[in-house]
Amino acid sequence: MIYHLIIAIQFIVVSSSAPGKEYTASMFGARSDGKTINTGSIQKAIDFIHENGGGTLVFYTGRYLTGGIRLKSNVHMKLEDGAVLVGSSSPFDYNSSAGERALISAEGQENIAITGHGYIDGNAEALLKNMNELDKKDLLVDSVALKPALIGFIDCKEINLQEINLWQSAGAVQKFGGCSNISISKIVIKNSGAGFPSMIFYECAKVTLKESYIESSGKPLEWKGDRKGITIEKTVNQNGSTITL
Amino acid sequence: MKILLLAIALFFSHFAISKNYFIKDFGALGDGITLNSQIIQGAIDFVAARGGGRLIFQPGSYLTGSIYLKSNVIIQLDSGAVLMGSNNPFDYVKDAYIGWMSMIFALKQDNVGIVGKGTVDGRGAATANNMTAFIHNKIYNDRLFLDRPSEFNRPQNLYFRECKNVTVTGITLKNPASWNQTYDQCENVYVDSIRVDSKNYWNNDGIDIVDSRDVIIKNSFFDAADDVICFKSQEPNKMCENVVVENCVGRSSANGLKFGTGSRGGFRNFKVKNLVFYDTYRSAITFAAVDGAIVENIVVDGVKATNVGNAIYLRVGDRNSRGKKSTMRDVTIRNLHAEIPAGKPDAGYPLEGPIENLPRNISPAGIAGLPNLKITNVVLENITIVYPGGSNPNYARRGTTAAELDSIPEMPAAYPEFSQFRELPSWGIYLRHVDSLKLINIKLIANATEYRPAIVAHDVHNLQIYKLEIIEPDAKKKKQVVLHRSLIAKIK
Repeated sequence: MIYHLIIAIQFIVVSSSAPGKEYTASMFGARSDGKTINTGSIQKAIDFIHENGGGTLVFYTGRYLTGGIRLKSNVHMKLEDGAVLVGSSSPFDYNSSAGERALISAEGQENIAITGHGYIDGNAEALLKNMNELDKKDLLVDSVALKPALIGFIDCKEINLQEINLWQSAGAVQKFGGCSNISISKIVIKNSGAGFPSMIFYECAKVTLKESYIESSGKPLEWKGDRKGITIEKTVNQNGSTITL
Repeated sequence: MKILLLAIALFFSHFAISKNYFIKDFGALGDGITLNSQIIQGAIDFVAARGGGRLIFQPGSYLTGSIYLKSNVIIQLDSGAVLMGSNNPFDYVKDAYIGWMSMIFALKQDNVGIVGKGTVDGRGAATANNMTAFIHNKIYNDRLFLDRPSEFNRPQNLYFRECKNVTVTGITLKNPASWNQTYDQCENVYVDSIRVDSKNYWNNDGIDIVDSRDVIIKNSFFDAADDVICFKSQEPNKMCENVVVENCVGRSSANGLKFGTGSRGGFRNFKVKNLVFYDTYRSAITFAAVDGAIVENIVVDGVKATNVGNAIYLRVGDRNSRGKKSTMRDVTIRNLHAEIPAGKPDAGYPLEGPIENLPRNISPAGIAGLPNLKITNVVLENITIVYPGGSNPNYARRGTTAAELDSIPEMPAAYPEFSQFRELPSWGIYLRHVDSLKLINIKLIANATEYRPAIVAHDVHNLQIYKLEIIEPDAKKKKQVVLHRSLIAKIK
């Protein structure tokens, strides 16, 4: 009985926070073949859900190659187990991101989320190789030379990142500037290459980070601003050490 | 002379841009799989920022969605290089300013172009069908008029808007999802030696010139589902003017050389030479002013049209004029030879033209104004039109009594089309509401006996006929020229 009640309560809590309607990526023409660059379809999906009262964009098993996409208010992305958002190996494909150069960017949005047991792969090795090639030929202008993060949110509110796996970013894994009410839980970061801090927060407030794992060659966490703005619980690095500010 | 100098200036202008860049260096892959839009855009931006140059595509199939050309950047498609349109409609931008989708846009840029022996292949049918599915699934909003996405919700291959010094030469343009290549409010447009294969979806035109000036189109081949060489005017205070079209060959399931139907501002100072049309469903030459346009000072010299549904159709109407008065004057068409078949000229081609306005026997060439909007000062000279003849009055009949001629509706607001009046009372030429018309050395041939006369002139004033030859088997002493409320000034 109590068990049932807990489930019921959980259901109510979950359903009140997530916008109701679910959409799948294929409805907007996205292909999970690992070859098709899906930026246009995923962006269309986000815009459509945003303009139609919000909802969840669900990615089922498969490799969804994409360039920079811009998340919008009341849109939740859910990566089901086995689903991976793969970042394009061309730096030009991140010109479509907003504000912060990132695979998934957002500026001035609220109630946005990325959840599920799937993962986001920054494809850093291939991307950095291509950037080096361009640089050698003197074709890499400054705006394209900025290494994209996996997630870059500016001036956003009510952000929920839960359970997802974040791998191999060319730059920082997550960057937040001027954001508040950020809930990050049970996420897994594996970022061995780039040497950037994994999570960067500038002037953020009401941040909770818990039960997460951060494997990083650079600093796991960089915080600028009021230290009271973040609560960290049960979050460890690859050696099992607890991560603090 | 002015136009010749313009041609020379345009010819040399694109050689001024000399620095070469290779798209492969920017990471583009010609594998036909990788979407290169952002890489190509990045490269264009880079070349533009460095002062311009040629962006060269070597052989390969470069998949792309929308890209924007920038000033002083010329795209060079080498032989074997294909800019291949994505089949995902969401890879295309519907430009907010222009209101259309396109693979390649140029908006308010100067000294731009696409040159070389390569190909732009929109692969548009699949894109349009994908869009239709998105519309049905309520992902995209469109009224699906005629059960297809609106023309502006399907990508064209090229859309140049408000650009100066545009050069498109040598390339092949294939299979857009909408119109094909539009030059809208541009100045100094030079199109030479291009090939168009545009018949994979509805409204696939050859080339559309809208409200542009100083335009040259020459030495090109067009095979199009819709109009071949089409001039439009969408703005009441703008027009197409100072235009040369020469040495072009075309095939269409619509019209060959067309003005309209968008005809708000006008069409002025055209010199057209040496056109060949074949297997074309509607008119070889048709000029329409139905939305308030002025058509003025047009010379067409040298047209060979074989297996074409209609030779000439000039029309002034009153469709969407909003207070303006459509005008057509000073139009000369000379040295035209046309052969009209009994059957359907475009039979067997993809997206055949719709069979409309039945029942009617073979329609004549037509010049039709309105009672208060007469077409004035037209010269038809050295014209031969061969008709199949053999009309059947039991199938469709329009007699030549005053009452019957008066009963032909004016249809001011109808879509201007040679067949719009259904059965007409003549088999060779039908004239209505024309002021000052010279017919010089006209030969009309019917290969089988007709129930109709060759020519009907209704409300035609100052009609001058110099040498008219009419050949029809068993015509006996049939009166071949019927005048109704008309005045012949001269017959020689």
